[in-house]
Amino acid sequence: MFDAFQYDEWGDEIAEFWTFSGGSAGTWIMTVIGFAAMLAAFWGFVILENRKLTHQASRLKASGALDRPASSGMGSSTMGPTA
Amino acid sequence: MISSILQSLIAQAPTLEELQEQVSLDSAILAETFYFWTVVVMWLIHVGFMAYEGGASRRKNLMSTAMKNILTIAVVTPTFYYFGWYIYGCFQEGWPKSGHASPDALEGFCGASAPWANVMGPNLQDHITGVFFLAFLLFSWTTGSIMSGAVIERIRLSAYLILTAILGSAVWIMDAAWGWSSGGWLVTRFGFHDVIASLVVHGVAGAFAFGVLLNLGPRIGKYTADGAARRFRGHNTHLTLMGLMLIFTGFYGFYAACLVIQSTVFPGWLNIYLSPTTLGSIAWVITFGFAGGFTGGWFASKGDPFWTLSGGLAGVIAVSAGADVYHPSLGYLLAISGGMVAVWSGNYIERKLRVDDAVGAVAVHGVCGFYGVFLVGIFAGGYPTGIENVESSFGGQLMGMMAFLPLAFLPGFGVSWVLKQFNLLRVPPEVELEGLDMAEFQQDFYPEFERVPEIVIEPDGREVDGAPVLLDSYWQATTNGRPGAPVSTGEERS
Repeated sequence: MFDAFQYDEWGDEIAEFWTFSGGSAGTWIMTVIGFAAMLAAFWGFVILENRKLTHQASRLKASGALDRPASSGMGSSTMGPTA
Repeated sequence: MISSILQSLIAQAPTLEELQEQVSLDSAILAETFYFWTVVVMWLIHVGFMAYEGGASRRKNLMSTAMKNILTIAVVTPTFYYFGWYIYGCFQEGWPKSGHASPDALEGFCGASAPWANVMGPNLQDHITGVFFLAFLLFSWTTGSIMSGAVIERIRLSAYLILTAILGSAVWIMDAAWGWSSGGWLVTRFGFHDVIASLVVHGVAGAFAFGVLLNLGPRIGKYTADGAARRFRGHNTHLTLMGLMLIFTGFYGFYAACLVIQSTVFPGWLNIYLSPTTLGSIAWVITFGFAGGFTGGWFASKGDPFWTLSGGLAGVIAVSAGADVYHPSLGYLLAISGGMVAVWSGNYIERKLRVDDAVGAVAVHGVCGFYGVFLVGIFAGGYPTGIENVESSFGGQLMGMMAFLPLAFLPGFGVSWVLKQFNLLRVPPEVELEGLDMAEFQQDFYPEFERVPEIVIEPDGREVDGAPVLLDSYWQATTNGRPGAPVSTGEERS
């Protein structure tokens, strides 16, 4: 009564599909590529952000907006921090 | 006629073996369904952390704050799959190998937790591994999110992602293997009892975050020249409070996912140590934990909204370690104390230690996580933990605390120190002053709203224009090379 749908038979065929079997060449290859992609993503996060931050910090310095006024120690800058 | 019908029905009736097989399958699918939906509920924890921290940040740092929470999922998921789960399966007897084998560890679990194992992917014969892995993965994200709030508004996104991968996929899961598994050496030898992860998730994440904060330093302008703490206004307190309420909702899923159900192997619910319990037991304690925590937080902070809600979280964390044991009244009382401990320790960390923890994560999660395990030693000593019924004790709890404090703090401090040496830990002070969103995303995320001058709250409670304070702090930071170093206000100098 539990076999009205051919679940077991079809399941056996599906289980032979390469991604379903641990230890197969496909599994190893995908694991290695996935691991490498993970490491590459970390490298990319660091490099891309460093580029953005360096660029923005340089731009802000060059603008002079954050320079200390010669006459006063206080913030007469035109670019004050905003909330 | 009737006889032939009966014979036909009997011929179609399943055998006892077929029925047993079907019941077993149904039970496995019940467990699979249960864990899947706990994970769905636990997603709310991360929605909540994102809203909570986003609201606590200043407008200029909103998206960079939220992006940390989102990308936590992007980095912890693969790292936990490729090595985190393997650590949980294979290091329960300690690392380096203690030589004390853990016969209580699930047989074959080590090999089955490797990313190339045949159960670590689609497998028609296995209904449990995928969802069980997923539940643990959600815990891993949570450890990252706990640290995330402490470091907002000045840490580099990439530095945070490296740190959170280490915390979420190595540090916390190593301590889970030791003290949050049926075969962990702290459990089998010392009866260590931390059933809903007061210490193994919260305490460890808090200790790791504390190590990071020591290297990261405070936000520019946080402290005056004499070391008194200023306060920065979060840009949306409503968002913060809603975030906390979402975290609380997700915590019910977190609590449920900490139990084990598989009714054909054993008759009811088990905790993570495979000791019998019920879902109702922990339902009492989490709810009374919130009630007590809100109460304690309210009174200790004299009604401060942020600390009242954080007190609720602290209250639950304080009672989580013994949530399968405590009577609701005991849970309520202990949670009140937990809410108070969070407020007092948060103030101490900010004002005495001068560590700038933007959301009080070290106090709420770190201090109360350790406090929760400490309480089990006092109020649940003698409880038979694990399948060998090793009695919980104050000494055993202390052993766990002594093992996990360095396990969490040292990697957090060490890795952040290395990042700092390469100038990869903190954003440039110019970027911090302007706001991280402009550098990271080149836009303001409330484009329809006029930008208003930033307000800073001085230690005496006065609200002052933030520009002179922060600019002066920036100038001194760029002079002495120490971003966030205490600086004087204009008034003090004049």
